[in-house]
Amino acid sequence: MATLRCEALVLRSVDYSESDRILHLLVPEVGRLTAIAKHARKSVRRFGGTLDLFNRLEVEIARGRGSAMSRLDRARLIHSYAPLRTDPARFALGCYLLEMLDRMAPEGGSRTDVQRLFQFAVGALDWLASHPPNAQVRIFLELRGLDALGVRPELRRCVRCGRDGIEGDVVDFHIPDGGPLCGACAARRGGDRLRVHQGTLRALEQGLDWDLARLDRLVLPPTALGEASRLVSRFQRFHLGVELQSERFLREMLPPPSGRSGAHSQGPAGP
Amino acid sequence: MRNASAVERLVTSLKRLPGIGEKSAARLAYHLLGATDARVEELADAIARVKKETVLCEECFDLTDRSPCEVCRDERRDRRLICVVEEPADLVAIEKSGRYHGVYHVLGGAFAPIDGVGPGELRVAELEARVQAGGIEEVVLATNPNAEGDATAHFLSDRLRPTGVRLTRIAYGMPLGGDLEYADHVTVGICIENRREID
Repeated sequence: MATLRCEALVLRSVDYSESDRILHLLVPEVGRLTAIAKHARKSVRRFGGTLDLFNRLEVEIARGRGSAMSRLDRARLIHSYAPLRTDPARFALGCYLLEMLDRMAPEGGSRTDVQRLFQFAVGALDWLASHPPNAQVRIFLELRGLDALGVRPELRRCVRCGRDGIEGDVVDFHIPDGGPLCGACAARRGGDRLRVHQGTLRALEQGLDWDLARLDRLVLPPTALGEASRLVSRFQRFHLGVELQSERFLREMLPPPSGRSGAHSQGPAGP
Repeated sequence: MRNASAVERLVTSLKRLPGIGEKSAARLAYHLLGATDARVEELADAIARVKKETVLCEECFDLTDRSPCEVCRDERRDRRLICVVEEPADLVAIEKSGRYHGVYHVLGGAFAPIDGVGPGELRVAELEARVQAGGIEEVVLATNPNAEGDATAHFLSDRLRPTGVRLTRIAYGMPLGGDLEYADHVTVGICIENRREID
């Protein structure tokens, strides 16, 4: 077994057999990795409380060959995101982001992509630990998570013809194509669409591109918040193709914005 | 295809138990084959009865063969004090300490968003009803000191705070016989913060 010494973020921790624990880890070197921590629940010396959800660790892992599970041999706590444990809304949003990464992060893949994903995860948890969450934070962190997973929506050009400067205050955002349509393409293209203000798309673009530290300076008005929430939610469901289990809990702890706009959505329709 | 033998069926059934793999199941099956009839019948009877005779206590939701359970029936217990635990096994652990003399409330778990467990899946409403019914002075939140248990405890404290009862959380720190050298820095930090006078 090859030994891997690296950083890791605990995405999920599941009790296994009488005294073991199975960990889902995000590792900047290899992506998502599952490892068994033998006797983790019994021995306070071996791992102590280090294998908890959200914890950032320095680990030593014996990599399993082929389909064999890797084994966690050593773990040292680098950082514990304590505020995520003491605020149910932060806990809910943190769990939601971890589930998204756990379900969608690649096992393997290019080192640059995986390191970018790890940087997103750590940055998002750092941000959540130091800022109170709200519906807007959820939208931006979810969108940035999708971007880190390689699923970034087009927010400026027509997603069909590539035309910049789409006319009109309100445009059709095509969910399967993942971007807005210009008037000509909208007339020809059917399918699941959402009417959104271009101002909402600009705000989402800023939410994606601005430095995380500046994110709290961006304040969306209620109309844009409602549109952005619906857009990101539908875009995520379509492009990830999974229903995240933790969403119901997140909606309970951090209700989505109720602001509705004059723009409207259109359900799936044939071309 | 031949029918599975009695031994194979037993191994298959045992393998379904948590923590039991193929080898352990076979070892247990052969152990039972070598045991006396009385021992085997005693085990079979205990397994058959546990499901039929075990109910939830109508007050604290612990597992019991008679509701209210022994703790809730005990007149010497301090009913002004409720200790909230995740599972019946946690209640047993606190009872073994011999240091707690109040009553309990078994939540049925802790928040586990990824497994779809939120307030609606736990006995949160029942706890609120018990506290609102009056006569409670303190609620001890004894969910596990991990992320899920901490989040559950803080959610409960937010929900119960308007009732005005005293809300406490079990202490964190080093286990007895533990070694500071091997403890993580968060645990050591909490130990230092929560240090107390030596009497």
